[in-house]
This record gives sequence, structure tokens and C-alpha cells, in this order.
Amino acid sequence: MHIAEGFLPAGHAVGWTIAAAPFVVHGARAVAKEVRENPESTLLLGAAGAFTFVLSAIKLPSVTGSSSHPTGTGPGAILFRPPVMALLGTVVLLFQALLLAHGGLTTLGANAFAFAVVGPWVGYGAYRLTRAAGAGLLPAVFAGVALADLATYVTTSVQLALAFPDASTGVAGGLVKFLGVFAVTQIPLAIGEGILGVLLFRVLTVNARPELERLGVLPPAPLAPTGGAA
Amino acid sequence: MTGLAVDDAAWASAWRGRAPTDKLLLSGGLVVTALVLPAWPGSLLVGLAAVVLALGPARVPAGTFLRAVRWPLAFIAVGALTAVVTVDGGGLGWAPDAGARAGGLVGHALAGTAAVLLLATTTPMSDLLPALRRLRVPAAVVEVASVTYRLLFVLLESLGAVREAQAARMGWSSPRRSYRSAGLLAAAVLTRSWDRARRMQEGLAGRGMETGLRVLPESQPSSRAFLASGLVLLAAIVGLTLGAR
Repeated sequence: MHIAEGFLPAGHAVGWTIAAAPFVVHGARAVAKEVRENPESTLLLGAAGAFTFVLSAIKLPSVTGSSSHPTGTGPGAILFRPPVMALLGTVVLLFQALLLAHGGLTTLGANAFAFAVVGPWVGYGAYRLTRAAGAGLLPAVFAGVALADLATYVTTSVQLALAFPDASTGVAGGLVKFLGVFAVTQIPLAIGEGILGVLLFRVLTVNARPELERLGVLPPAPLAPTGGAA
Repeated sequence: MTGLAVDDAAWASAWRGRAPTDKLLLSGGLVVTALVLPAWPGSLLVGLAAVVLALGPARVPAGTFLRAVRWPLAFIAVGALTAVVTVDGGGLGWAPDAGARAGGLVGHALAGTAAVLLLATTTPMSDLLPALRRLRVPAAVVEVASVTYRLLFVLLESLGAVREAQAARMGWSSPRRSYRSAGLLAAAVLTRSWDRARRMQEGLAGRGMETGLRVLPESQPSSRAFLASGLVLLAAIVGLTLGAR
């Protein structure tokens, strides 16, 4: 769920756009460099953006009996790294605003900061830390994807609390309210997205191992021994 | 038909042939007006102008427009309600000016959403992306965004087909099976997107692609009358809103 068009006051909309800009510009430079060096990357990066958009269209069953949609940035951050996701996530948000009316244009900066910057960086950090602690790929993917989802909604709650502090208890009270509505309810959905990430990577390790090795997610498999010379 | 109702409306709109920058200026002006003017009567006037222009001269189907507004409505309602509830001494209550604040928030958000939808339902993304080049967005970024847009529909079609096949095999009949199917579905879409990108790349490399994906832009000249009418509309909204206060 993204912050709708016109919901944030003008000052906050501008402030979050300025906050997100360095990350998105850094991502754009990384993408431009990659495309300059390898023009064929354009198509793979475009495919990654389209996959993030489409992943957010998959319905997951939720504990309340209804359904929810994954944010889709966790797997992208693990596969393509956070700087690239800062740009691809912003492009996906622009498409969601103009093709689905999810989010908006003046709130693009705030949504990009939560969805394309904080979510991917927290998710990627959790993934790397879990791997560094000696865990296997799948537990690390679960931690990365679930925390990317949760961090996105915690950031959205902070943004809303800063814009709409509680009348008596200020920003702290506002944060309690918005976390209660947008983040606590998201915990089961974040766990669900983590499980989806594990199922996705389990299939990919079997069906797309060369791609995962090329992206650095899995170490290159040792070469199979060949028959010795006679 | 592309499968996304807003995109379908944009391709079929009577304003499809108008210059994207003209529509961008009009909608952008309405978005900014909705954001900075007081909700009463500014938001009402902006929302009304966007809806009348979309359903009238741009001939966007009313059902498509209303269904698109329905999506952000859930966030707007929950967000506005949370903003005007106050937590004090362990109990919940209404903030002193709860009605006016909630009304203002809903008004700003609905008017802004209607203004964005005016652009979205009249201008396909493939017309808007070249306009980003004029805003000095790097060509490589615009190209990646263009490929993303074009692949979206292929992948959404794959998603629908695989999901339908899974549903026919009882793949979504229980939460456990649904999760397993969702994982397989995401993996199938990702590997298909890689495969599709690789095949496109090989095809383009065979045709000598070296410096990027160049396409012939459609000629959509700017209209001074359209721009002047838009300016008059925005000035009238600002004048009426400030005059009413």
C-alpha cells in the first residue's frame, strides 16, 4: 500500500523527494554505466523491472482469510543489489501510479524512499548478515525478503507520523497509531512474503542455477571431473 | 487490449493524439493546484475539472475512471481516519478538528488522484517516456523503463496463463498449496522474463544493435489553444478558491 497522491503536505512531499533523490540518481548512474559497458544489459534490467511489477500483482493468502500482495523488492534487492533496485523500484512506482493509480506523482519521492531505498537496503543487509553468520541461502532469503517488506511499511508509518503528529502526544503518538495500522498488521504479510521468497529461490536454485551464479547469489559450481587422458 | 484498464483507456482516449507535454502540463498543473490550494473549495474544483475533462472531451469510460479511483480510496480512508484519531491517556478519541482535517485530507488526495488519472487515462506510457528525455533523464534509464513497460504485458499474460493452469489443478485450493503455487508462479515468471530478454537481445544483436533501442517517435504537435485553455482553467480554479476565502 503506497501513500496516495495528494495525501502528504507539499513540504513533506518535497522533503522526501530530496531524501530519495541521491539514492535514485546513484542507481541511475549505476544502470547507465552498466548499459554503456554492456548494451545487452538494457533488456535484462528491463526484465528485472517488469518482474518486480508483476511480482507485486501475485495474490498471497493472508491470515485474515483475505489476500495481500508482496512488495516485490526483497527478491530484487538480493538478485540485483540495492542501488539498481533504487532506480528499478522508482520506475515500478511510477508505473504503478500511472497504470494502477497506486501511489502518486507528488508522493513518488516518499514512496520511493520507503519502497525502493529503505526496503531493499534493509532486506539486502539482513540477507548479507544472515549469510555472514553462516546460514544457508534459503534462511537468508527469508530474513531478507521479510524484513524488506516490513521495513517498507515501518518507513511509511514514520513518514505519515511526521506529516500527521497526534493532536495530544505529537509525533511519538502518531507513530504508535500509524505503526499499529500499517506495520503491525503487516507482520504476518511480511512472513508470508518471506515464505514466498524461499519458495521462489528454491525453484531458482534448481531451474536457473547458471543465472544465480552469474548474479553472484550462488558460488560457481566446481567443474565436473573429466575423463583422464589415456 | 493490454490487460490494464487504465492503459487500455489511454490508447483509446480521444486525447491520444494530443502532445504528451501538453497533457503533462495540464495534469501537472491540476496536481500542484490540488496540493497547495485549500481543500475547500480548491480540491472540489480540481477534482471536478479532472473528472469532467476525462469523461467529456477525452472520452474516458466512466467505469474505468471510477474503478481506478477505488484502489487508492482504501489507503485514503484508513490513513485519514488514523490521522484524526488521538491517543491520550491510554484511550482513543477524536482530535478537536477531526471532521475538518479528515475532510481536507480526503479532498486533497481524491482531487490529486483524479488529476493524475486524467494524465494516466489519456496518455500511454510509451508516449510519456520519451518526454523524460527532455527532462534530462539519461537515455539508458529511459530505455530500461521502456523495456520494462513493453515486457509488463508479456509477463502479466504469462502470470495469468500459469495461474489459470495451477488453479485448474487445484493449486490454489488451500493456503499451503497457494503459497507453493505462488512460489512456482514467481519463479516461472522470472525465468520467462530472463528467457524473453535473452531472446530479444540475441535478435537485436543479429540486427546490429550497438548504441541502444531507437524507435521512430510519433509526431504529436503541441496545441497553443489547448495550453491556453488549460492555463485559463487553472487560473479560474485559483481565483475562485482564493475569492471564496
